Amino acid sequence: MSTQTEHQKVPRSRQSVDVQDPGLTRFDIVREGARRDDIEIVHYEQQVLPGTKAERRLTRTIASMFLLTGLAATAFLVVYIWWPWEYAPGRGGDKWYTPLLGITLGVALLGIGFGILTWGKKLLPKEVSIQDRHEGAVAADDRIITGQTMLYMADELGVKRRPLLGISLLAGLAPVGAVAAAPLVGGLISDPHKNNQMFTTGFAPAEGGEKVRLVREDGRPVRPADISAGGQITVFPGIDHGVSNRHADSPTLLIHLRDSDAQESRRANERVGHGDYMWGNYAAFSKICTHAGCPASLYEQQTNRLLCPCHQSQFLITDNARPIFGPASRRLPQLPIEVDAEGYFVAKSDYTETVGPDFWERP
Amino acid sequence: MTSDNDRRRGLLARLRGRPAARSRGRRRLGAAVRLLAALMLAGGAYTVFAPGAQAQDNPPLTGAAAEGKALFDVSCVTCHGRNAQGVEGRGPSLIGVGAASVEFQVGTGRMPMARQEAQAQRKPELFTDEEVRQLAQYVQELGGGPVVPEGDNLHSDGNIAAGGELFRINCSQCHAFGGGGGALSSGKYAPSLHPASDRQIYAAMLSGPQNMPVFGDNQITPEQKADIIAYIQETLKHDQDPGGFNLGRYGPSTEGLAIFLVGIVALVFASLWIAGKS
Amino acid sequence: MKRRKFDMASAPGKAAVGVDERFQVATPLRRLLNKVFPDHWSFLLGEIALFSFIVLLLTGVFLTFFFEPSMTEVVYNGSYAPLRGTPMSAAYASSLDLSFDVRGGLIMRQMHHWSALLFMAAIVVHMLRIFFTGAFRKPRETNWIIGSLLFWVGFLAGFTGYSLPDDGLSGTGLRIASAIMLSIPVIGSWVTSSVFGGEFPGTIIISRFYIAHVLLIPALLVALISVHLGLVFKQKHTQWPGPGRTNGNVVGERMFPRYAIKQGGFFMVVFGVIALMGGLFQINPIWLFGPYEAWVVSAASQPDWYVMFLDGSTRLMPAWEINIPIGDGYVIPPLFWPTVVLPGILVGLSTLYPFLEARHLKDRKSHNLLQRPRDVPARTAVGAMAVSFFLVLTLSGANDVIADKFQISLNAMTWAGRVGLLVVPPLAYYITYRICLGLQQHDREVLAHGVETGIIKRLPDGRFVEVHQPLGTGDGHGELEYVGWVVPKKMNRLGALGPAIRGFFYPIEKPAEAPVSPGHPPVEPRPEREEIGSGESRR
Repeated sequence: MSTQTEHQKVPRSRQSVDVQDPGLTRFDIVREGARRDDIEIVHYEQQVLPGTKAERRLTRTIASMFLLTGLAATAFLVVYIWWPWEYAPGRGGDKWYTPLLGITLGVALLGIGFGILTWGKKLLPKEVSIQDRHEGAVAADDRIITGQTMLYMADELGVKRRPLLGISLLAGLAPVGAVAAAPLVGGLISDPHKNNQMFTTGFAPAEGGEKVRLVREDGRPVRPADISAGGQITVFPGIDHGVSNRHADSPTLLIHLRDSDAQESRRANERVGHGDYMWGNYAAFSKICTHAGCPASLYEQQTNRLLCPCHQSQFLITDNARPIFGPASRRLPQLPIEVDAEGYFVAKSDYTETVGPDFWERP
Repeated sequence: MTSDNDRRRGLLARLRGRPAARSRGRRRLGAAVRLLAALMLAGGAYTVFAPGAQAQDNPPLTGAAAEGKALFDVSCVTCHGRNAQGVEGRGPSLIGVGAASVEFQVGTGRMPMARQEAQAQRKPELFTDEEVRQLAQYVQELGGGPVVPEGDNLHSDGNIAAGGELFRINCSQCHAFGGGGGALSSGKYAPSLHPASDRQIYAAMLSGPQNMPVFGDNQITPEQKADIIAYIQETLKHDQDPGGFNLGRYGPSTEGLAIFLVGIVALVFASLWIAGKS
Repeated sequence: MKRRKFDMASAPGKAAVGVDERFQVATPLRRLLNKVFPDHWSFLLGEIALFSFIVLLLTGVFLTFFFEPSMTEVVYNGSYAPLRGTPMSAAYASSLDLSFDVRGGLIMRQMHHWSALLFMAAIVVHMLRIFFTGAFRKPRETNWIIGSLLFWVGFLAGFTGYSLPDDGLSGTGLRIASAIMLSIPVIGSWVTSSVFGGEFPGTIIISRFYIAHVLLIPALLVALISVHLGLVFKQKHTQWPGPGRTNGNVVGERMFPRYAIKQGGFFMVVFGVIALMGGLFQINPIWLFGPYEAWVVSAASQPDWYVMFLDGSTRLMPAWEINIPIGDGYVIPPLFWPTVVLPGILVGLSTLYPFLEARHLKDRKSHNLLQRPRDVPARTAVGAMAVSFFLVLTLSGANDVIADKFQISLNAMTWAGRVGLLVVPPLAYYITYRICLGLQQHDREVLAHGVETGIIKRLPDGRFVEVHQPLGTGDGHGELEYVGWVVPKKMNRLGALGPAIRGFFYPIEKPAEAPVSPGHPPVEPRPEREEIGSGESRR
């Protein structure tokens, strides 16, 4: 912690004081100590004289702050132990538990803090000391000695003379470094394209080609009659753990468009070759924003805009969920849907575009 | 009120200001009145010659609905037209929107609108509850539609935990986790749920006012609606925050403001005092 | 048995001698006790960060006893009724337990979060102080770099900690973080998959963040903070220019007792403020957010304030996607620029700034005296530019809240941010530069002509002039040279450079002697008040 570069020299022209001298006061010794560290105490002044009224007043103030701390800390303990703290609905006393703890603890800490500060600031003598920085004070000799020592050691090792040693050492160490990194990298690395997971969702039809139903958050399948015109519902793939974070890319927004909007939407669908993606006036779009993956789900039923609350991208549902504002650059993928023999919505196939935020190798 | 309205008329109306719109409104009103008189004449003649027809198509209004019609003709007819068929570019048809819609729009003071803007705002209501009921009855009898069940407390048997889950999946994206509302595109917004009564929340879900999607009874059953309302009223509104002042429940933005305005400011003052010359 | 008499009074002395015989500490300890620190309020800003870090460690250790970093699905059955029966991760359930079933757990959680915000806020404020006063110049470039690294490591600490409860809001943040990693060209998907152990969210990320948050990052922070403080010690603190203060000395107080006592007291004050905030202001009410589910989101989803500028830059970024038509085609998503490239540039610029400035000014000297911001208009203006850039981004990070609460169109807010980001910083540069020049001008004016007294005199020829109190000694025109000190601009600021003006908000007039150090000229004698003019009635 100390400054190593300082030298033990006695500063300037001052004579060394004999600290053993019994005639010295304690402050003389302190001052001498400071001088040995190249510090000159140029100003040292009692702020309050001992025995004065001011001193007594300050002492009382500080003491009362400490006592306040004691009181507040006791109050903290009392509240902590006896105040009813367990959660109960409504506006009961438990809601005051945390604020009371905060106030008592805060007052206790502020009491001791300001007490100490007042003590240091008002009662202790004021001083102005000046310390030399000793920058660049390292003797040029020292630099030369250290530099030469290091060069000498390098020479002794003789890497220059015996280059094979250096090369072989490097050749040996490089794999060791790799060995250190290998378990970490090897353990962490995980193929993002395993099972084609980045390009499939829970709506991919099962092995047998059986189509996946659209279900609600409680697992019930959805019928067309379940959504009124101008309504929307979040649906999930009707598979195991379909309604869970295991299929975080699958949540889908099923929207029942009004007649005129549905017509517009269908025309837009046809323009991009998605003519059969809607079923009746129903359209399903991925709820996962193509920008940063938040659920883009603020559906405005009159303007048919879908807003993402994270970065305010806005998608126009009636135009294939094209981004019309904000940072999103890609439309929300549409899920082709139909109604099965039992009258429930199913996904005709998986999403035909990549769901979720963009990445480098998205085709 | 319709999307077309929003887009085409919002700005225009604002630019022109209210008086112009009103005078034009008056002109149109005059035209409407003349048209109506002609229609009534024709209708009257028709009634005379075909006494049974009206009785089948338009059953006579009940007492409350007749009162409602009287109110309607005074306050709503300008934008929604005679018999609530709507006026192109000004107000949509109210046939089939149901009593729920009226209860929400008029009961929260959103209707009658003061001016055309991005979205009707909540205002002090113009009508008493009784009048709102009469208006609602009138619109209901015009073409049916969703109705809010009887009673002022619609959440007494709601399950709060289930309601919370439903709230987070269906409501929080617009109205925020704390129910304080949030911004939508281009000046529209989802309002705060805090001033809303049980009936108003229920009516809003049923009717999908403004840009809010419709959550009909087919999608969210009346029991589930009770759950959601219970969560909003009991947990979001009635429960006191256990952690002290909630900073408006605006999330990290006010928390960040607080750390600078309270924490840093207090400590900078403390350090000014500490290093100050005593 | 012989009982030796035990002399209580000499025991400490003997013990001290014993210690010194074994460890030879007397000399280094004397140096430590004697070390001189300059005193200025702005030198305490970094301490706020240090002390809130200590509070973070204390409260954080408490939290680890109860938090379970696991994404195993459990059904909540604690005392918070509105979530009972809800399936959730064990991490979220244990965070709820911390808030509702551990006595005093909530205040600990809130204190931890508030001190994290305070830590980052204090770092930024401290950094601004360093920047605007030029304290980063040689020989302190290393400490500047460590300081800016501390901001970014603190940023990581904050983000990992914020994500741990696995609630609806932080999960959304995590989702965005995964998208940011995904957006990196070429390696994006591999990085994300490796960090999350497969597809987002996987089942391991909370455990990984936990160990990073409670072990790796704090260890790094402790290491960086230690080096930071060690260097401050070694290189000695900078000081403001003033009477007796030179590039080669430190004028202030010795570390013990007064300086250390003030530090101890200030720690308690910081701790107390955090405790008050932790108790009185609710922060991050995770119980309202519900467990993280990929399909749940809230309006006004924002990160903590120190991440908000990145959120803002993301919101303002236009939808510019770069398609590379090779093979199947490759994409650089618009998300990449504001969240990966921008922070990269910011890290680079902020760490390199000391070298850039030194190179530009061809300045190779060591500087231990601070500069008043007005004296270096270019740097101050660049700083103002950076601050306004950061502010526009941060405000844009909350633009939906602003739009909603102040009834402004959301789209208009976005456009205002986009335009503002281009227009405001240059404007801030220009305005700041002019203000600096104006202040410089005024300083020199006062030095040349004296302080305005507010006394108007009518000259015999009928003109009115204001009497100025000259600052100089009176020979010649009484003109003083500007040497980087504060120039008194009001009569009651005369002598303010001296050590002892009493009073906090308003000085209590009883100025004491200015410090006189051997070898340095004493400060100019304070002008006599009586010079103002005889016969004028002055109180």
